[in-house]
Amino acid sequence: MATRDDIENWLAKCALGDRDAFARLYSATSSKLFGICLRVLDDRAEAEEVLQEIYVKVWRNAARYNANGLSPMTWLITIARNAAIDRLRRRRAAEGGYADDAGELQLDPAKGPEAQAIAASEHARLAACFDELDSGHAAAVKGAYLDGETYADLAARFDVPLNTMRTWLRRSLLKLRECLSR
Amino acid sequence: MSDGMPEREADKALAGEYALGLLPPDEAAAFERRMASDPDLRALYADWAEDLAALTDAIDPVRPPARVWKATQASLFPKRRKGRGWLGVLCGALTASALALGLLVAVDFTQGPQRPAAPDYVAELAAEDRSLVVTAAYDAATGSLYVEREQGRAAEGRALELWLIAGDAAPVSLGLLPDEDRAGIVNVAPELRPRLAGASLAISDEPAGGSPTGAPTGDVLAVAQVTDT
Repeated sequence: MATRDDIENWLAKCALGDRDAFARLYSATSSKLFGICLRVLDDRAEAEEVLQEIYVKVWRNAARYNANGLSPMTWLITIARNAAIDRLRRRRAAEGGYADDAGELQLDPAKGPEAQAIAASEHARLAACFDELDSGHAAAVKGAYLDGETYADLAARFDVPLNTMRTWLRRSLLKLRECLSR
Repeated sequence: MSDGMPEREADKALAGEYALGLLPPDEAAAFERRMASDPDLRALYADWAEDLAALTDAIDPVRPPARVWKATQASLFPKRRKGRGWLGVLCGALTASALALGLLVAVDFTQGPQRPAAPDYVAELAAEDRSLVVTAAYDAATGSLYVEREQGRAAEGRALELWLIAGDAAPVSLGLLPDEDRAGIVNVAPELRPRLAGASLAISDEPAGGSPTGAPTGDVLAVAQVTDT
Protein backbone atom coordinates (compact mmCIF):
# COMPACT_ATOMS: atom_id res chain seq x y z
CA MET A 1 0.00 0.00 0.00
CA ALA A 2 1.48 3.30 -1.10
CA THR A 3 1.78 5.97 1.57
CA ARG A 4 0.86 9.61 1.20
CA ASP A 5 4.57 10.40 0.96
CA ASP A 6 5.02 7.88 -1.87
CA ILE A 7 2.21 9.42 -3.87
CA GLU A 8 3.46 12.92 -3.22
CA ASN A 9 6.96 11.98 -4.29
CA TRP A 10 5.70 10.31 -7.48
CA LEU A 11 3.61 13.35 -8.35
CA ALA A 12 6.56 15.67 -7.81
CA LYS A 13 8.67 13.48 -10.10
CA CYS A 14 5.89 13.32 -12.70
CA ALA A 15 5.99 17.12 -12.77
CA LEU A 16 9.64 16.78 -13.76
CA GLY A 17 8.84 14.31 -16.53
CA ASP A 18 9.83 11.11 -14.70
CA ARG A 19 7.95 8.33 -16.51
CA ASP A 20 9.01 5.62 -14.05
CA ALA A 21 7.41 7.59 -11.24
CA PHE A 22 4.28 7.93 -13.39
CA ALA A 23 4.18 4.15 -13.87
CA ARG A 24 4.47 3.61 -10.11
CA LEU A 25 1.76 6.15 -9.42
CA TYR A 26 -0.50 4.47 -11.96
CA SER A 27 0.04 1.02 -10.56
CA ALA A 28 -0.61 2.18 -7.00
CA THR A 29 -3.71 4.28 -7.67
CA SER A 30 -5.43 3.18 -10.90
CA SER A 31 -7.58 0.46 -9.29
CA LYS A 32 -9.07 2.98 -6.88
CA LEU A 33 -9.76 5.51 -9.63
CA PHE A 34 -11.10 2.87 -12.03
CA GLY A 35 -13.51 1.74 -9.31
CA ILE A 36 -14.78 5.32 -9.05
CA CYS A 37 -15.21 5.58 -12.84
CA LEU A 38 -17.16 2.31 -12.92
CA ARG A 39 -19.35 3.40 -10.01
CA VAL A 40 -20.20 6.75 -11.62
CA LEU A 41 -20.52 5.62 -15.23
CA ASP A 42 -21.69 2.02 -14.84
CA ASP A 43 -20.22 1.31 -18.27
CA ARG A 44 -16.90 -0.46 -18.67
CA ALA A 45 -15.87 0.94 -22.05
CA GLU A 46 -16.60 4.52 -20.99
CA ALA A 47 -14.87 4.00 -17.65
CA GLU A 48 -11.73 2.82 -19.46
CA GLU A 49 -11.73 5.88 -21.73
CA VAL A 50 -12.22 8.22 -18.82
CA LEU A 51 -9.48 6.54 -16.79
CA GLN A 52 -7.08 7.24 -19.63
CA GLU A 53 -8.19 10.90 -19.71
CA ILE A 54 -7.66 11.09 -15.96
CA TYR A 55 -4.05 9.92 -16.07
CA VAL A 56 -3.28 12.23 -18.99
CA LYS A 57 -4.54 15.08 -16.80
CA VAL A 58 -2.58 13.82 -13.81
CA TRP A 59 0.65 13.76 -15.85
CA ARG A 60 0.07 17.23 -17.29
CA ASN A 61 -1.05 18.87 -14.04
CA ALA A 62 1.18 17.06 -11.57
CA ALA A 63 2.94 20.29 -10.67
CA ARG A 64 -0.31 21.85 -9.54
CA TYR A 65 -1.44 19.09 -7.25
CA ASN A 66 -1.03 21.01 -4.03
CA ALA A 67 -2.17 24.37 -5.38
CA ASN A 68 -5.46 24.08 -3.49
CA GLY A 69 -4.01 22.35 -0.46
CA LEU A 70 -5.58 18.94 -1.17
CA SER A 71 -3.90 15.76 -0.03
CA PRO A 72 -2.46 13.87 -3.00
CA MET A 73 -5.05 11.08 -2.88
CA THR A 74 -7.92 13.56 -2.61
CA TRP A 75 -6.49 15.43 -5.59
CA LEU A 76 -6.48 12.22 -7.63
CA ILE A 77 -9.97 11.21 -6.48
CA THR A 78 -11.30 14.68 -7.29
CA ILE A 79 -9.85 14.59 -10.82
CA ALA A 80 -11.31 11.11 -11.33
CA ARG A 81 -14.73 11.99 -9.95
CA ASN A 82 -14.95 15.22 -11.96
CA ALA A 83 -13.87 13.53 -15.20
CA ALA A 84 -16.37 10.71 -14.71
CA ILE A 85 -19.19 13.12 -13.85
CA ASP A 86 -18.38 15.28 -16.91
CA ARG A 87 -18.65 12.19 -19.10
CA LEU A 88 -21.88 11.11 -17.42
CA ARG A 89 -23.44 14.54 -17.92
CA ARG A 90 -22.41 14.59 -21.58
CA ARG A 91 -23.99 11.18 -22.03
CA ARG A 92 -27.20 12.32 -20.36
CA ALA A 93 -27.30 15.45 -22.50
CA ALA A 94 -26.84 13.30 -25.62
CA GLU A 95 -29.57 10.93 -24.48
CA GLY A 96 -31.96 13.80 -24.08
CA GLY A 97 -31.87 14.50 -20.40
CA TYR A 98 -31.73 12.92 -17.07
CA ALA A 99 -35.42 12.46 -16.36
CA ASP A 100 -35.66 9.45 -18.71
CA ASP A 101 -33.44 7.21 -16.68
CA ALA A 102 -34.33 8.56 -13.27
CA GLY A 103 -36.13 5.36 -12.48
CA GLU A 104 -32.92 3.35 -12.65
CA LEU A 105 -31.19 5.45 -10.07
CA GLN A 106 -30.93 4.50 -6.51
CA LEU A 107 -33.36 6.99 -5.08
CA ASP A 108 -32.70 6.24 -1.49
CA PRO A 109 -29.00 5.61 -1.02
CA ALA A 110 -29.50 5.69 2.73
CA LYS A 111 -30.73 2.11 2.52
CA GLY A 112 -28.21 0.91 -0.07
CA PRO A 113 -25.15 -1.25 0.50
CA GLU A 114 -23.00 1.76 -0.28
CA ALA A 115 -24.29 3.69 2.70
CA GLN A 116 -23.85 0.67 4.93
CA ALA A 117 -20.29 0.24 3.75
CA ILE A 118 -19.59 3.91 4.37
CA ALA A 119 -20.90 3.51 7.87
CA ALA A 120 -18.54 0.58 8.40
CA SER A 121 -15.53 2.37 6.96
CA GLU A 122 -13.03 4.44 8.83
CA HIS A 123 -14.91 7.46 7.62
CA ALA A 124 -17.77 6.76 9.92
CA ARG A 125 -17.57 10.44 10.85
CA LEU A 126 -18.92 11.40 7.44
CA ALA A 127 -21.65 8.78 7.64
CA ALA A 128 -22.60 9.97 11.11
CA CYS A 129 -22.92 13.53 9.85
CA PHE A 130 -25.01 12.42 6.90
CA ASP A 131 -27.26 10.69 9.43
CA GLU A 132 -27.89 14.03 11.09
CA LEU A 133 -29.38 15.39 7.88
CA ASP A 134 -32.87 14.53 6.69
CA SER A 135 -32.45 11.40 4.58
CA GLY A 136 -33.64 13.26 1.49
CA HIS A 137 -31.03 15.97 1.96
CA ALA A 138 -28.26 13.43 2.49
CA ALA A 139 -29.34 11.61 -0.66
CA ALA A 140 -29.23 14.89 -2.58
CA VAL A 141 -25.62 15.59 -1.56
CA LYS A 142 -24.55 12.04 -2.37
CA GLY A 143 -26.49 12.15 -5.62
CA ALA A 144 -24.67 15.29 -6.66
CA TYR A 145 -21.26 13.84 -5.79
CA LEU A 146 -21.56 10.30 -7.09
CA ASP A 147 -24.34 10.56 -9.69
CA GLY A 148 -23.57 14.03 -11.02
CA GLU A 149 -27.06 15.28 -10.34
CA THR A 150 -27.56 18.98 -11.06
CA TYR A 151 -29.87 21.38 -9.26
CA ALA A 152 -32.35 20.86 -12.09
CA ASP A 153 -32.18 17.07 -11.62
CA LEU A 154 -32.58 17.38 -7.87
CA ALA A 155 -35.45 19.87 -8.16
CA ALA A 156 -37.24 17.45 -10.50
CA ARG A 157 -36.58 14.51 -8.22
CA PHE A 158 -37.83 16.28 -5.11
CA ASP A 159 -40.55 18.07 -7.03
CA VAL A 160 -39.69 21.55 -5.78
CA PRO A 161 -38.76 24.75 -7.64
CA LEU A 162 -35.06 25.02 -8.48
CA ASN A 163 -34.45 28.00 -6.18
CA THR A 164 -36.08 26.20 -3.29
CA MET A 165 -33.91 23.18 -3.99
CA ARG A 166 -30.81 25.33 -3.95
CA THR A 167 -31.68 27.14 -0.74
CA TRP A 168 -32.30 23.91 1.04
CA LEU A 169 -29.28 22.15 -0.22
CA ARG A 170 -27.11 25.07 0.83
CA ARG A 171 -28.59 24.90 4.33
CA SER A 172 -27.90 21.15 4.43
CA LEU A 173 -24.31 21.77 3.35
CA LEU A 174 -23.84 24.19 6.24
CA LYS A 175 -25.31 21.68 8.66
CA LEU A 176 -22.99 19.03 7.28
CA ARG A 177 -19.97 21.33 7.53
CA GLU A 178 -20.89 22.25 11.09
CA CYS A 179 -21.10 18.55 12.01
CA LEU A 180 -17.86 17.66 10.20
CA SER A 181 -16.02 20.49 11.96
CA ARG A 182 -16.99 19.39 15.44
CA MET B 1 -26.73 33.56 -3.58
CA SER B 2 -26.56 34.60 0.04
CA ASP B 3 -29.87 33.38 1.46
CA GLY B 4 -29.33 36.14 4.03
CA MET B 5 -26.48 34.08 5.49
CA PRO B 6 -23.45 35.81 6.99
CA GLU B 7 -20.74 36.06 4.33
CA ARG B 8 -18.46 33.41 5.80
CA GLU B 9 -21.36 30.95 6.05
CA ALA B 10 -22.40 31.75 2.50
CA ASP B 11 -18.84 31.01 1.35
CA LYS B 12 -18.84 27.67 3.17
CA ALA B 13 -21.99 26.67 1.33
CA LEU B 14 -20.65 28.05 -1.95
CA ALA B 15 -17.41 26.05 -1.59
CA GLY B 16 -19.53 22.93 -1.02
CA GLU B 17 -21.63 23.63 -4.08
CA TYR B 18 -18.46 24.14 -6.10
CA ALA B 19 -16.96 20.87 -4.81
CA LEU B 20 -20.17 19.05 -5.73
CA GLY B 21 -20.17 20.55 -9.23
CA LEU B 22 -23.56 22.16 -8.63
CA LEU B 23 -22.68 25.73 -9.58
CA PRO B 24 -23.73 27.06 -12.98
CA PRO B 25 -20.64 27.56 -15.20
CA ASP B 26 -20.46 31.35 -14.71
CA GLU B 27 -20.65 31.04 -10.92
CA ALA B 28 -18.09 28.22 -10.91
CA ALA B 29 -15.68 30.37 -12.95
CA ALA B 30 -16.23 33.32 -10.61
CA PHE B 31 -15.57 31.06 -7.61
CA GLU B 32 -12.32 29.84 -9.18
CA ARG B 33 -11.19 33.41 -9.79
CA ARG B 34 -11.86 34.34 -6.18
CA MET B 35 -10.20 31.16 -4.92
CA ALA B 36 -6.99 31.95 -6.85
CA SER B 37 -6.36 34.95 -4.64
CA ASP B 38 -8.11 33.95 -1.43
CA PRO B 39 -6.40 31.34 0.77
CA ASP B 40 -9.41 31.16 3.12
CA LEU B 41 -11.68 30.20 0.25
CA ARG B 42 -9.12 27.61 -0.92
CA ALA B 43 -9.15 26.15 2.59
CA LEU B 44 -12.97 25.97 2.61
CA TYR B 45 -12.89 24.18 -0.73
CA ALA B 46 -10.12 21.81 0.43
CA ASP B 47 -12.23 20.85 3.49
CA TRP B 48 -15.11 19.88 1.23
CA ALA B 49 -12.93 18.05 -1.27
CA GLU B 50 -11.33 15.98 1.52
CA ASP B 51 -14.62 15.17 3.22
CA LEU B 52 -16.54 14.37 0.03
CA ALA B 53 -13.69 12.19 -1.25
CA ALA B 54 -14.52 9.91 1.68
CA LEU B 55 -17.76 9.08 -0.14
CA THR B 56 -15.57 6.97 -2.45
CA ASP B 57 -14.20 4.89 0.44
CA ALA B 58 -16.98 2.39 0.05
CA ILE B 59 -16.34 1.91 -3.66
CA ASP B 60 -14.40 -1.26 -4.36
CA PRO B 61 -11.16 -0.82 -6.31
CA VAL B 62 -11.15 -2.59 -9.67
CA ARG B 63 -7.93 -3.33 -11.53
CA PRO B 64 -8.19 -1.76 -14.99
CA PRO B 65 -7.22 -3.85 -18.04
CA ALA B 66 -3.63 -3.40 -19.27
CA ARG B 67 -4.83 -1.72 -22.47
CA VAL B 68 -5.74 1.44 -20.55
CA TRP B 69 -2.13 1.94 -19.41
CA LYS B 70 -0.87 1.24 -22.92
CA ALA B 71 -3.30 3.73 -24.45
CA THR B 72 -2.42 6.34 -21.82
CA GLN B 73 1.28 6.02 -22.57
CA ALA B 74 0.68 6.03 -26.32
CA SER B 75 -1.27 9.27 -26.10
CA LEU B 76 1.23 11.00 -23.81
CA PHE B 77 4.49 9.70 -25.24
CA PRO B 78 4.12 9.11 -28.97
CA LYS B 79 6.69 6.63 -30.26
CA ARG B 80 7.96 8.96 -32.98
CA ARG B 81 9.81 10.91 -30.33
CA LYS B 82 12.10 7.98 -29.88
CA GLY B 83 12.77 8.14 -33.62
CA ARG B 84 15.02 11.06 -32.85
CA GLY B 85 17.42 8.47 -31.52
CA TRP B 86 19.82 8.81 -28.67
CA LEU B 87 21.82 11.41 -30.56
CA GLY B 88 18.87 13.78 -30.32
CA VAL B 89 18.44 13.03 -26.65
CA LEU B 90 22.15 13.64 -26.12
CA CYS B 91 21.94 16.97 -27.92
CA GLY B 92 19.00 17.90 -25.74
CA ALA B 93 20.91 16.96 -22.60
CA LEU B 94 23.96 18.91 -23.74
CA THR B 95 21.84 21.96 -24.46
CA ALA B 96 20.24 21.68 -21.05
CA SER B 97 23.56 21.45 -19.25
CA ALA B 98 25.04 24.23 -21.36
CA LEU B 99 22.08 26.39 -20.41
CA ALA B 100 22.49 25.40 -16.79
CA LEU B 101 26.16 26.37 -16.84
CA GLY B 102 25.43 29.65 -18.55
CA LEU B 103 22.72 30.45 -16.08
CA LEU B 104 24.77 29.43 -13.09
CA VAL B 105 27.19 32.10 -14.10
CA ALA B 106 24.34 34.48 -14.71
CA VAL B 107 22.98 34.24 -11.18
CA ASP B 108 23.91 37.55 -9.65
CA PHE B 109 23.89 37.80 -5.91
CA THR B 110 26.15 40.77 -5.49
CA GLN B 111 23.77 43.64 -5.99
CA GLY B 112 21.50 42.93 -3.07
CA PRO B 113 18.64 41.54 -5.17
CA GLN B 114 15.31 43.26 -4.99
CA ARG B 115 11.98 41.60 -5.50
CA PRO B 116 10.40 43.10 -8.66
CA ALA B 117 7.78 45.67 -7.73
CA ALA B 118 5.32 44.44 -10.36
CA PRO B 119 6.19 40.86 -11.26
CA ASP B 120 4.41 39.22 -14.21
CA TYR B 121 4.50 35.76 -12.67
CA VAL B 122 4.94 34.51 -9.16
CA ALA B 123 5.28 31.10 -7.56
CA GLU B 124 5.63 29.72 -4.08
CA LEU B 125 7.58 26.50 -3.94
CA ALA B 126 6.99 24.78 -0.64
CA ALA B 127 7.76 21.33 0.68
CA GLU B 128 4.69 19.61 2.11
CA ASP B 129 5.90 20.16 5.67
CA ARG B 130 7.10 23.67 4.76
CA SER B 131 10.65 22.79 5.82
CA LEU B 132 11.61 24.49 2.55
CA VAL B 133 9.76 27.52 1.24
CA VAL B 134 11.04 29.47 -1.74
CA THR B 135 9.21 32.29 -3.46
CA ALA B 136 9.89 33.36 -7.01
CA ALA B 137 8.82 36.47 -8.90
CA TYR B 138 9.49 37.03 -12.58
CA ASP B 139 9.83 40.36 -14.33
CA ALA B 140 9.20 39.83 -18.04
CA ALA B 141 10.56 43.26 -18.99
CA THR B 142 14.05 42.32 -17.83
CA GLY B 143 13.79 38.53 -18.01
CA SER B 144 14.90 38.31 -14.41
CA LEU B 145 13.58 35.81 -11.94
CA TYR B 146 13.89 36.78 -8.31
CA VAL B 147 14.15 33.81 -5.96
CA GLU B 148 14.11 33.95 -2.20
CA ARG B 149 14.60 31.17 0.33
CA GLU B 150 12.10 32.01 3.02
CA GLN B 151 12.50 28.79 4.93
CA GLY B 152 15.06 25.98 4.90
CA ARG B 153 18.28 25.46 2.98
CA ALA B 154 20.33 22.77 1.26
CA ALA B 155 21.51 19.84 3.36
CA GLU B 156 25.18 19.88 4.36
CA GLY B 157 27.36 19.32 1.29
CA ARG B 158 24.33 19.41 -1.04
CA ALA B 159 22.81 22.06 -3.29
CA LEU B 160 19.28 23.15 -4.18
CA GLU B 161 18.78 23.34 -7.94
CA LEU B 162 15.95 25.26 -9.58
CA TRP B 163 14.26 23.83 -12.68
CA LEU B 164 11.92 25.19 -15.32
CA ILE B 165 9.35 22.73 -16.65
CA ALA B 166 7.41 23.95 -19.65
CA GLY B 167 4.77 21.68 -21.15
CA ASP B 168 6.01 18.18 -21.88
CA ALA B 169 9.60 19.30 -22.41
CA ALA B 170 12.39 17.98 -20.19
CA PRO B 171 13.20 20.14 -17.16
CA VAL B 172 15.75 22.86 -17.83
CA SER B 173 18.04 23.93 -15.01
CA LEU B 174 17.78 27.56 -13.98
CA GLY B 175 20.78 27.23 -11.73
CA LEU B 176 21.45 26.71 -8.04
CA LEU B 177 19.75 28.59 -5.27
CA PRO B 178 22.08 30.81 -3.30
CA ASP B 179 23.44 29.01 -0.27
CA GLU B 180 24.50 31.83 2.04
CA ASP B 181 22.32 34.64 0.72
CA ARG B 182 18.62 34.21 1.08
CA ALA B 183 17.75 35.79 -2.26
CA GLY B 184 19.13 35.96 -5.76
CA ILE B 185 18.29 36.89 -9.32
CA VAL B 186 18.33 34.42 -12.19
CA ASN B 187 18.66 36.00 -15.59
CA VAL B 188 16.46 33.76 -17.68
CA ALA B 189 17.97 33.09 -21.10
CA PRO B 190 16.01 34.89 -23.86
CA GLU B 191 15.02 31.62 -25.57
CA LEU B 192 13.45 30.37 -22.33
CA ARG B 193 11.46 33.51 -21.53
CA PRO B 194 8.46 32.75 -23.73
CA ARG B 195 8.16 29.38 -22.00
CA LEU B 196 7.55 30.78 -18.53
CA ALA B 197 3.83 31.39 -18.97
CA GLY B 198 1.98 28.43 -17.48
CA ALA B 199 5.25 26.67 -16.73
CA SER B 200 6.22 25.08 -13.43
CA LEU B 201 9.25 25.59 -11.27
CA ALA B 202 10.77 22.84 -9.20
CA ILE B 203 13.57 22.49 -6.69
CA SER B 204 15.58 19.30 -6.39
CA ASP B 205 18.23 18.15 -3.95
CA GLU B 206 21.51 17.77 -5.87
CA PRO B 207 25.21 17.18 -5.20
CA ALA B 208 27.26 20.30 -4.44
CA GLY B 209 27.78 22.13 -7.72
CA GLY B 210 24.46 20.95 -9.15
CA SER B 211 23.16 17.99 -11.11
CA PRO B 212 26.00 16.25 -12.94
CA THR B 213 23.68 15.06 -15.72
CA GLY B 214 21.69 18.14 -16.73
CA ALA B 215 18.52 16.49 -15.41
CA PRO B 216 17.29 16.31 -11.82
CA THR B 217 19.00 13.42 -10.02
CA GLY B 218 17.93 13.82 -6.38
CA ASP B 219 14.63 14.14 -4.55
CA VAL B 220 12.23 16.75 -5.82
CA LEU B 221 11.58 18.90 -2.78
CA ALA B 222 8.99 21.33 -4.12
CA VAL B 223 7.09 21.99 -7.33
CA ALA B 224 4.72 24.82 -8.21
CA GLN B 225 3.12 26.27 -11.27
CA VAL B 226 3.78 29.95 -11.88
CA THR B 227 0.70 32.11 -11.66
CA ASP B 228 -0.12 35.38 -13.38
CA THR B 229 -0.27 38.36 -11.10
